[in-house]
Amino acid sequence: MDVMDDLSDNDEDEQSSRFSPGRRQRVDRRRRRRRKEDYFEVNNLAINYKDIDSLRRFITDRGKIRPRRQTGLTSKNQRQLARAIKRARFLALLPYTDEHLRS
Amino acid sequence: MNRKYELGFIIPTSVQESETQAVINDVREWIQGHEGTITNVDFWGRRRLAYPIQDFREGYYVFLQMEFPAQKLSELEHSLWFDERVLRHLVVRLDE
Repeated sequence: MDVMDDLSDNDEDEQSSRFSPGRRQRVDRRRRRRRKEDYFEVNNLAINYKDIDSLRRFITDRGKIRPRRQTGLTSKNQRQLARAIKRARFLALLPYTDEHLRS
Repeated sequence: MNRKYELGFIIPTSVQESETQAVINDVREWIQGHEGTITNVDFWGRRRLAYPIQDFREGYYVFLQMEFPAQKLSELEHSLWFDERVLRHLVVRLDE
């Protein structure tokens, strides 16, 4: 049993040393950008449609929901974000577009 | 079976600020009339709308947490839709 445990531990160590540096070294020649950290995970925040200050940073100045490549959110959080923004829009907490500001 | 919901609604500024509590009390009575219970009331007060709704640019925001029977929800929403002292409302499930 002890031997088995040792083996599996070694396996994990090897895997992490084999794969994680490679991931970090992946370089895009045009713009090299480190994977962004998920805002809601880092700040330990729940995604809530009433938290307008948090949501606001994920919409463009035209009011559109920013894509995941800009937000850096996990796909789960990106989906929840989109839902929260749509709820906030319905209650006029966030704009649908910048058009209705021109008046 | 009661489920946990959050009801958010906007009272238009055609209602005097002193009358907003009366609106909230009416909503409370509708909820209790369907055997629902309110667990929390969050009154945000007067706030600018992100876009005009029926020519209103501001409104009083109210959020109620409640436990409410799912089958009666459409009746409650019906009352909210047809009251002109409620500019807009949204019901959201909390226990998902």
